[in-house]
Amino acid sequence: MRKISLILLALCFMMITTACKQNANAPSKTTASNAASGNAAKSELVVAIPADIGTIDPAVTMDNSSWKIIYPTYERLVDYDGATTKIKPGLAKKWTVSKDGKTWTFTLEKGHKFADGTEVDAKAVKESFERTLKIKKGPAGIFSMVSKITADNPTTVTFTLSENFPPFLSTLATNYGNIVSPKVMEYEKNGDMGQNYLANHTMGSGPYQLESWKKGDSIKLSLNPYSKVKPAFKSVVFKIVGDSSVQRLQLEKGEVDIAEGIPVDQIKDVKSIRNVRLVQKPSLVTDYVYINTSKGNAALQNKKVRQALNEAIDYDALIDAVQLGYATKTRGPVPEGVWGHDNSVKQYKHNVKHAKTLLKEAGVKNLSLDLLYSDNKTWWKTEALTIQSNLADIGVKVNLKSVAYATFRDMIDKGDFDLALGVWSPDFGDPYGIMNYWYDSKNFGLAGNRAFYKNSKVDRLLKEAATNNSKQERTALYKQIQDIVMDDAPYILLYQKDYILPMSKDVKGFVYNPMLDGIYNLADMSK
Amino acid sequence: MQKIILKRLGFLVFVVFGVTLISFILSHVIPGDPASMMAGQRASKETVQSIREQLGLDQPLWIQYADYIRQLATGDFGISIRTHQPVLDDLLTYFPATLELAVAAFAIAILIGIPLGVISALKKNTFWDHFSRIFSISGVSIPVFWSGLVVILIFYGYLGWFPANGRIDDNINPPTHTTGFYILDSLLTGDTIALFSSVKHIFLPALVLSFAQLAIITRQVRASMLEVMSQEYIRTAVANGIHGRLLIISYALRNALIPTITVIGTSFGSLLGGAVVTETVFGWPGMGKFVVDSIAYLDFPAIMGFTILISIGYVLINLIVDLLYGLLNPQIRE
Repeated sequence: MRKISLILLALCFMMITTACKQNANAPSKTTASNAASGNAAKSELVVAIPADIGTIDPAVTMDNSSWKIIYPTYERLVDYDGATTKIKPGLAKKWTVSKDGKTWTFTLEKGHKFADGTEVDAKAVKESFERTLKIKKGPAGIFSMVSKITADNPTTVTFTLSENFPPFLSTLATNYGNIVSPKVMEYEKNGDMGQNYLANHTMGSGPYQLESWKKGDSIKLSLNPYSKVKPAFKSVVFKIVGDSSVQRLQLEKGEVDIAEGIPVDQIKDVKSIRNVRLVQKPSLVTDYVYINTSKGNAALQNKKVRQALNEAIDYDALIDAVQLGYATKTRGPVPEGVWGHDNSVKQYKHNVKHAKTLLKEAGVKNLSLDLLYSDNKTWWKTEALTIQSNLADIGVKVNLKSVAYATFRDMIDKGDFDLALGVWSPDFGDPYGIMNYWYDSKNFGLAGNRAFYKNSKVDRLLKEAATNNSKQERTALYKQIQDIVMDDAPYILLYQKDYILPMSKDVKGFVYNPMLDGIYNLADMSK
Repeated sequence: MQKIILKRLGFLVFVVFGVTLISFILSHVIPGDPASMMAGQRASKETVQSIREQLGLDQPLWIQYADYIRQLATGDFGISIRTHQPVLDDLLTYFPATLELAVAAFAIAILIGIPLGVISALKKNTFWDHFSRIFSISGVSIPVFWSGLVVILIFYGYLGWFPANGRIDDNINPPTHTTGFYILDSLLTGDTIALFSSVKHIFLPALVLSFAQLAIITRQVRASMLEVMSQEYIRTAVANGIHGRLLIISYALRNALIPTITVIGTSFGSLLGGAVVTETVFGWPGMGKFVVDSIAYLDFPAIMGFTILISIGYVLINLIVDLLYGLLNPQIRE
């Protein structure tokens, strides 16, 4: 017994010391030992991400953390151009739309191939969209207006819509518009249309393909041998590093090139690291407060009360306290960066005196409101406390209610709150992606109108703006709607968050597109 | 002995049934809708409804439960809502990592804890005793997220001896899957590169995870040893000329270990369930993070699978503890 224990102990000791020695003696001999030595190869990009991801089937997932894998491994008919929300050709080299806006015809560029060698033709595009629609999960909802898809010839595909939907082109550039190889059906099990297989495999025509996925540890992309694009990075590793301090250390030691999970309160320290730069751009993420205008406290049905709440907030101080200044005060619901944003739209300013007058005019006294939030966003607790203190200044008592995220969503959907914190980023680069969701009374609850706000004039104008093909007329319509809703004040618009990404100075070519938050233009990047 | 084992295993079926019933009801009555989580931020009511139907969530609760049990009886844990993989596959991917970490931490805790407890009892109120006390108090009271970061800062940040994250180096393939334990698998396949890499990776998280257990074991062994050492049979043994290692190990420690085994048994259970923080700090791809994510996503099949696995684990550990009692003390064997 004693002998065995001694042998075991000696073995353990030997393994540990040898491991250490090996590491110390040959810190950069091979990439195998780069764990402690850093300096990944020039042809490899290493990105630290805070958590593992769920399914990567483009017809299933609505979780944008998985888009960073899907987007570079697939292609779409059209793409966002550089850092803008403008549309440029993708798989389709050109397209036309009928006068009534219901028929869209795309001409495909030849020579695109899936990683399995199959040609990307009109039939593949048709089958990919049909698969999404048949699976009937989140992405199908985005294309609910598509009534028919036809492959007219190998390079022409036509979409027939049930109604005019001008943002259609924009939706095709999103993650939901990724084209899946028709061979996916070979992996169908129990009629799941390959959902099980595609949950952890890729079958696209993008410059990369999924090479390996060590669950909970790392995800590795390698080149699609059939792609015409020849990226500088031959492989990309997404390393799951849950702790932000560890991410920081690894960035400092050069073990990772990009660290995604560092919260704003640690950004200042990261800035001082040599060889690390900070990408800082305005994002399209709006942080705001839903005021429940019909199902919450009855006082909130009064416009003046809602305006008073808007004027009670000390916006600049809140941005400093919550986002340490890494945000911009919002002007109007359409964020800066999406067309339709209007600098002349009313913006509420901190004015305690006037807010109190408004409450007086509304005849409201001793107002007590519940503010609902969840642990989903790390900054929400500070934000809730700041709002509580701001509203106390105008004599409104706020009771903070923090619940689990799933419960939070359920309560929002049912309208079971007075005030609630929320974030929104549009799915596609069109004011429709904000306006028609937030203010249309047919979208009550999680669907988007989380203030349960109803104004029939707004409903009518929104419908008009959604079915008009002239961008100029639509801009004017959305301006008109913004003026009304800012006065009606069903939300308190707080700020537009900055996108902050610490990365090694060696990494070149990264372009941040606010529509593709968290997605890298890997094929254009190098180091 | 065989009778006990069979009886306990029979009992296991009832435990699993009870656990499934309670956790199924609990996980389904809390407010929140997995279909809405899956449908995305702004899905329409129609999309949510369609997903609800696909997942069978539109059925009455008892029908959902009956379906689940029917599936379970055939060994099918269902498909995870979040990862879209069979739950059993997910559990089998993550569980060995957690178990390997727990076993390593456990080994460290026992290898250091028992001798330290014995020394501290034998050298009561000396430097060694005080040292062991301070060591234990620190072990219990320092939170893992803090000790984890300190250890990473020193051994990864400054010294560069050990990696800070993961189970094996990025560019090394895991050893051929036999048990799912990287160390054991690489020993079995003779893959020395994978062996060194996995030992290097497991060392820090296992060390940190072992702190709390180590402290408990040390204190327990010390207390039991002190009690045993003052008993008459030890005095008799000493009077008969037995002393030194024989006295301590065969006479005293053997008896002192009986209460310690209980503590060790339950602490192993808590190692399995409580490794979440350690796994997060060290990016260890185990069950902890997976389950937390599943709960946040209301991934019912995954939550149920995990609960069943852990309850089976607890029952088996208790069984092993009871059997060990018998080995240590023939009186209990009956």
